[in-house]
Amino acid sequence: MIWTTSKKAGDSMITFLTYVFCLAWVFPVYYMVITSFKVEESVIPPSLFINKFTLDNYAIIFDKTIFSHIVNSVTVTVISVLLCLAIGLPAAYRIVFGKMKNPANLYFWFISTQLLPPCAVLVPAFLIMRWMNLLDTRTGLILIYVGIHTPLIVWMVTSFFKDIPIEILEAADIDGCSKWNAFLKIIFPLSKPGIISSALLTFVFIWNEFFFAVNLSAIKANTLPVYMASFMTQEGLFWAKLSAISTITILIPVIFGIISQKALVEGLTMGAVKG
Amino acid sequence: MRGAIITMKSKSNSLLTLPAIVSVAVVTQVLFLATIFLSFIKWIVIRPDLGKSFAGIKNYVWIFKAPETYQIIGNTILITALSLTLCLILGFCFSLLLNRRFPLRKLCRMFVLIPFFMTPAVIGIIWKTLLLHPSFGITGYISQIYNSAPIDFFGQHAFISIIILIVWQWTPFFVLIILAGLQGVNPEMIESAQIDGASSIRILFQIKIPALRYHIQVATMLGMIFILKVFGLIYVTTRGGPGFTTTNLPYQVFKISYYKWDIGQAASYATLMVAMSLIIIMVMFNFIQKQIKRLEI
Repeated sequence: MIWTTSKKAGDSMITFLTYVFCLAWVFPVYYMVITSFKVEESVIPPSLFINKFTLDNYAIIFDKTIFSHIVNSVTVTVISVLLCLAIGLPAAYRIVFGKMKNPANLYFWFISTQLLPPCAVLVPAFLIMRWMNLLDTRTGLILIYVGIHTPLIVWMVTSFFKDIPIEILEAADIDGCSKWNAFLKIIFPLSKPGIISSALLTFVFIWNEFFFAVNLSAIKANTLPVYMASFMTQEGLFWAKLSAISTITILIPVIFGIISQKALVEGLTMGAVKG
Repeated sequence: MRGAIITMKSKSNSLLTLPAIVSVAVVTQVLFLATIFLSFIKWIVIRPDLGKSFAGIKNYVWIFKAPETYQIIGNTILITALSLTLCLILGFCFSLLLNRRFPLRKLCRMFVLIPFFMTPAVIGIIWKTLLLHPSFGITGYISQIYNSAPIDFFGQHAFISIIILIVWQWTPFFVLIILAGLQGVNPEMIESAQIDGASSIRILFQIKIPALRYHIQVATMLGMIFILKVFGLIYVTTRGGPGFTTTNLPYQVFKISYYKWDIGQAASYATLMVAMSLIIIMVMFNFIQKQIKRLEI
């Protein structure tokens, strides 16, 4: 009896500790969000709650400048993700169903390109973009992002395609179903959740991409993260507004990321780990 | 499109992979070959009067003579190694805590995961201003209350601060993978061990950790690849300083490119970075090949 009560007490102690650690981990995010709703004058001294709620910070930062950067981020990210899907899905299809001699080699080649650090291609990328007048354009960023992130789609979608039992496809083939129809009517519906999650994760990676965004764009094509970085240096100590921009910048990727986290685990661990 | 796919049935499938292979190869491999080529060229963009010329290995001689190069290589390795170790330990602890049954478990999981999906620019900025600013951040405020001198995080302790930020962002990734692994551990094995009277510490070391070997390897390998490339966090917080204390190789490539405009030297540093990563990639290669054989795609 004593043993069970002490075990229960221990259990709730551990649960309590878990709450403390998790809250501590998320605290910076919480503090950023509440600061974005504070009046600029009440940001300092720091307080853990909002003493005077206001939406002014959001109203002030939502001018033409930030709007054009939101448009940049959305267009660059959405178009890049769609292009990655358009060329990545057929590649993944062939790796899994294409009866290649050595599909593992191609699959591994795609993964290995992910290991190349972005700084390894910065210098020629910059020179070529300058020569083609693509510096500081959304097109330039999209071209780079498609090349860098397509492997991610192939990598993840391959593991979802592999989950489809080959017998279904063989049966469809015997029934005279064309490959294109088999893709549309069997493969795509069966792997739709996986494909959507892979697309969402690619969205998160491209949205958050900083290295090329900061190096290949200057003013016009700046995405939100780059605008953020320049806002800090230009505007100085307007921390409530800074927090408001930060909150807007992370909102979409955090939601998408949380929706698709299971696919990240399954995809990146090559399907061996089910999330 | 439809016609193309039907005809390929009789001819070949290569049209399916061609666009992906071409675009990936151009952006990653062709451009990297161009980097290697440029590393043998003397070309300073803002000095057109000097022209472009073949420099042989002069750029490499220069970077290996520069004393900061060794510090930067050291930083790159040290930042990665220290962050990885901390991420692994914290990720493991969080996973063990979150793998239990308790109220609001999903919410707690979500809280821990959030930093992973945030852009490095935001992470760097909110930590630098709201949290760790010596006069106006929370830590500054706390030291004011206790009347002690505020800690200058991004000056004097820049190196540690960068590691704190990396660990905060990347621990969630380790939690994601290790937690998924823990959930796959056969509960019957643990139950029977408990019935046999095994302590929870023994269960941890003799059942859970061996069962998680694969997950820990995956998390460590991928984490290593990503942390080696860290740039955004450094760019928005310390700018590689003070001096070279927080400059890693990616940041150095950026600095030489955009402050010195020296194409050859920047390309040499980039090549050096790849050479270093390559050693790690070799290790990964063996590992992934083994996994592919095991899974038989």
